[in-house]
Amino acid sequence: MEKNYIIAGFGGQGVLFAGKVLANAFMLAGKNVTWYPCYGAEMRGGTVNCEIVVSDEEVSSVHKQDVDCVIALNQLSFDRFISKVKKGGTIICNSSLVEEARPRTDINYVFAPMTDKAISMGNHKLANMVSLGVVSNIETTLNVAIMEKAVDMVLPESRKKLAKSNMDALMLGIDKQTTVC
Amino acid sequence: MAEKQLLKGNYAIAEAAVKAGCECYFGYPITPQTEIGEYLSGRMHELGRGYVCAESELAAINMVIGATSTGAKAMTSSSSCAVALMQEGLSYACADELPVVLVNVMRAGPGLGYIYPAQGDYFQAVYGGGNGDYKLTVLAPSTVQECIDLTYRAFYLAQKYRNPTMVLADGLLGQMMEPASFGEYPYPEIDNSSWALTGAKGREGRAIYSCARDEDAQNNHIRHLFQKYDLIAKEETDWEEMNTEDADIIIVAFGSMGRNIKATMRELRAKGLKVGILRPITLSPFPSNRLNELADKCKQFIVVEMNMGQMIKDVKLAVNGKAKVDLINRPVGQWLSVEEIADGVQKILNKEVAYASI
Repeated sequence: MEKNYIIAGFGGQGVLFAGKVLANAFMLAGKNVTWYPCYGAEMRGGTVNCEIVVSDEEVSSVHKQDVDCVIALNQLSFDRFISKVKKGGTIICNSSLVEEARPRTDINYVFAPMTDKAISMGNHKLANMVSLGVVSNIETTLNVAIMEKAVDMVLPESRKKLAKSNMDALMLGIDKQTTVC
Repeated sequence: MAEKQLLKGNYAIAEAAVKAGCECYFGYPITPQTEIGEYLSGRMHELGRGYVCAESELAAINMVIGATSTGAKAMTSSSSCAVALMQEGLSYACADELPVVLVNVMRAGPGLGYIYPAQGDYFQAVYGGGNGDYKLTVLAPSTVQECIDLTYRAFYLAQKYRNPTMVLADGLLGQMMEPASFGEYPYPEIDNSSWALTGAKGREGRAIYSCARDEDAQNNHIRHLFQKYDLIAKEETDWEEMNTEDADIIIVAFGSMGRNIKATMRELRAKGLKVGILRPITLSPFPSNRLNELADKCKQFIVVEMNMGQMIKDVKLAVNGKAKVDLINRPVGQWLSVEEIADGVQKILNKEVAYASI
């Protein structure tokens, strides 16, 4: 069983960081996993994304044409990736920056005001972690303990003090009242 | 077994070089392998080893030639169009029998091309762009773990046979992260005291040069090199093979495309097709003998690659007319998906297409 995720947003929203946390979390959950960033000129256009593939076997394609789950942190990412979501797949949207619209009827939508929630904690940059909270609600192999360990693995020594605020933001995403499906 | 950590291919290659005892790195930045030089710029300094950001790739390969001629373990890394600049140096290093290690993290060509991953440098790596009769040893990783393992092996084989050895990765492998572990460098150190240029104090002077004095000397030198290449082929040819015993169809791919063909095999097996795979790990030497053996039983080979069909020529030479060899390919861009490869296989079997360029 193989499943892939794309996390996408503006440069500076912590897209690659969130992707690394998610990939580490799946590794800790005993899965095979790959993380692949966009590294080309598209990065310089202001949007950034990374793809995570999780598998029970060796991951086959690292970079796929369609996606099981897209996490769109801004409107541009929503517009760009909604057509790539597989039939029956899911798009998780930062409704602070993404209009709550459902242009396709064959996929699932999850809306959560990630940036607003992060601002309520005093740091809009934590919207990425709120999004991971929403993901860990949906993904049964993940739990808070795993996410906490994954955050610790990704934060460099000089930034370890940020672990707590990252986890606080993640907990806001886990709170079911945050999300609208 | 050391604990696995999530590692980016480029960093994995760089730290593996450090663990393999690389004493000097010379390189010039180019996407998608810049992280190798970036990482080593700090790490080599920390360890008191040599690091030079060269003024060009031409300079970098010649610096590696200089360093390895003194017996030091040295490497450079680059990508496609810039590896093209190093071809003269590689021909010299082969002639001079220097243990140069070179990493090519392939991007799209020809010309400047683009930074997307591709596999268009198979010919460049295996047949070379330098002058004269020479062969590099070429290793092609398909996972981040293999980026580590084959970097270790590259240093070992380069030293053992005194032949330039290339790790041929691609932008996908260089940029992706995957769980992997370093372990320890698993190979013995090779004594190079019989040839390295270490200063002639207390011994006869030595010289390393590729200019032969006469016809006989040049003939003998080339024959000597090719005896060595035969020995490398006999001792070091390596590949991965799955489900070939009963296979009616064998899919062949190298590098990170080796992952996609395994999943395709599983999918087609589930549909009742007897599919096996063979993934060359050494591209030079190529597992020709094994492919020829397999062609006694299996009548259909399908080569999958991200170029216009390069390795397929070696597969055809190996199979030597005993079986059909077809191609599924795309020159650059989105890696061929499992569905596309499975679809291509079906089309080839149904004889709808001669080859499935997608």
